[in-house]
Amino acid sequence: MIRLENIEKVYRTDTVETLAINGINLHVQKGEFLSIMGPSGCGKSTLLNIMGLLDEPSRGQIKIDNQDISRYSDKQMANFRNEKLGFIFQSYHLINDLQVLDNVELPLLYRNSSSQSRRALATAALEKVGLSNRTKHFPTQLSGGQRQRVAIARAIVGQPQIILADEPTGNLDSAMGNEIMDILINLNKNEGTTIVMVTHDESMAQKTHRLVRLFDGSQVQ
Amino acid sequence: MFKHLYKLMWNKRKQNFLLLSEILVSFLVIFALFSFLVYYFQNYQKPKGLDYERVWTVSYDNRQVSKQLDSARLFYDDLERSLKAMPQIREVAYTSANFPYSQSVMNTNVSLGDKVINSVNRYVSGIDYHKVLQMNLTEGRWFYPEDAAAAIKPIVINETLKAEAFGKQSAVGRLFDNHDKTSRRRIVGVVQDVKVEGDYLPSGKAMYTPLDTTDIKWNSFILLKVTEAADANFEGKLYKYLGQRFNNERVEITYMKDLRTAKNEVTLIPMIIFMIVAGFLIINVALGLFGVLWYNINRRRSEIGLRRAIGASSTSVSGQLVSESLILATLSIIVGCFFALQFPLLHVFDVAANVYLYAILLTVLFIYLLVIACSVYPGKQAAAIHPATALHEE
Repeated sequence: MIRLENIEKVYRTDTVETLAINGINLHVQKGEFLSIMGPSGCGKSTLLNIMGLLDEPSRGQIKIDNQDISRYSDKQMANFRNEKLGFIFQSYHLINDLQVLDNVELPLLYRNSSSQSRRALATAALEKVGLSNRTKHFPTQLSGGQRQRVAIARAIVGQPQIILADEPTGNLDSAMGNEIMDILINLNKNEGTTIVMVTHDESMAQKTHRLVRLFDGSQVQ
Repeated sequence: MFKHLYKLMWNKRKQNFLLLSEILVSFLVIFALFSFLVYYFQNYQKPKGLDYERVWTVSYDNRQVSKQLDSARLFYDDLERSLKAMPQIREVAYTSANFPYSQSVMNTNVSLGDKVINSVNRYVSGIDYHKVLQMNLTEGRWFYPEDAAAAIKPIVINETLKAEAFGKQSAVGRLFDNHDKTSRRRIVGVVQDVKVEGDYLPSGKAMYTPLDTTDIKWNSFILLKVTEAADANFEGKLYKYLGQRFNNERVEITYMKDLRTAKNEVTLIPMIIFMIVAGFLIINVALGLFGVLWYNINRRRSEIGLRRAIGASSTSVSGQLVSESLILATLSIIVGCFFALQFPLLHVFDVAANVYLYAILLTVLFIYLLVIACSVYPGKQAAAIHPATALHEE
């Protein structure tokens, strides 16, 4: 599903050159739930950004669904992200000036879908995460766990094949974290969604199919 | 997408209140400016209705002229003949003080049955007044000397007065009463409007009455149409001659083209000052808009990063920023139009409605262009935001 071949990422400034990712080869199978762990600054999020086409590798090749992404234009990449990928972030990244339903609809705005179908899909996604009674709320009126569930609804509303989650339970207490984790596990199990999750939490990582450990930009497990 | 952006802007209306107010104030100022410009432009396009080239205006002190009416009439008839006999002078006409481009105004009301027409400029004119100014008769005739014996005194009116009084019907032969209905005037002709207040202001309603014996003793102005041969030397001789005839040296000769220039400046200079002030305001608004958009981009980096992540291309991000600005502008424009439309609806300042409507259109166009110009660069900056970096910052 996702194939990373010899990926390197170097950040350069005038004086310093930092190797964030060092020759990573990784193959994520379709329907797999993979977690990535490692200490802060080891390149977990960078790797996830590269998988999510939010960042370009300095070297190496990414193939998603057997498509070589490196030759895509900005617009093609945007379309690809919109149709194939869903993102969940540690800090939710909800738009506070929009109601929950509007936040969930966001990815569908970049598709040619009617207002009614957007609304129906967003409502269905919110039902899946158990927030159908919060559609008219603003994010600031919700708890952290509820916000993350909104973010999950936004990630799944476009029915992507892959979900990339960057420390989705990082800002939540363990009970909330487990709730979120259960939603992700169910998505993976019931819908067959491939999930790649970056986490610091060993217990969460143990719930996934496979664990990849990074250290100083290199894969150590 | 439009509905989404509108909802987003509407939900942020409190944050955008100052910007909305600034655009609204700019709208009203620019609307005022364009109203003036359209008004002046429309007037400028209309024919002048006269030829001011080689027209000299002579003002004199008439205290030495006999106040006995017959003597005064003889004196002025003789003076007119003498002036006409000069080869450099083509036409001569006595006039009241409110000749074209002068500083004087003489207004009256006239009655047409029960209808009272206010603010009609009354010009007391000599027999050859229309020849001196090369005015264009569109209907009927100018005065004849024989009109002096007519039971009902003749008048000539301009097209604006004719339109108000009679619409498209013929005016010749119709009667006007004076304001208190104590005397009547018969319309003998209609002339094209003469823009007496300069090129940028309308002629207004006008009626021309012949200079009669009672007017003559108060008269102190002459209009002369001179030939190309009338040079400074001739002007000097004329000055001396008139001084002798009036037994004093309080004679002043002015070129009508200079009076016209002065009149136009009276209109244009305040307009130019207004344009400069409005220009500063526009620059201020543009900088404000630019600054707010720039600030918004920095404040909304994570939102922009998110949008990129979920499928927005760089073009659609910059397009979104520009569209948001246009939506904000539209909200202000709607309020601005509400106020601006009161002017044509209430006939404020007695200006034609189309002046205000054109001004509204131009203002809307101008505001949109200004907003687009101010939001394109911040929009490009937003598009250049690296999503991974923006999402990581939060």
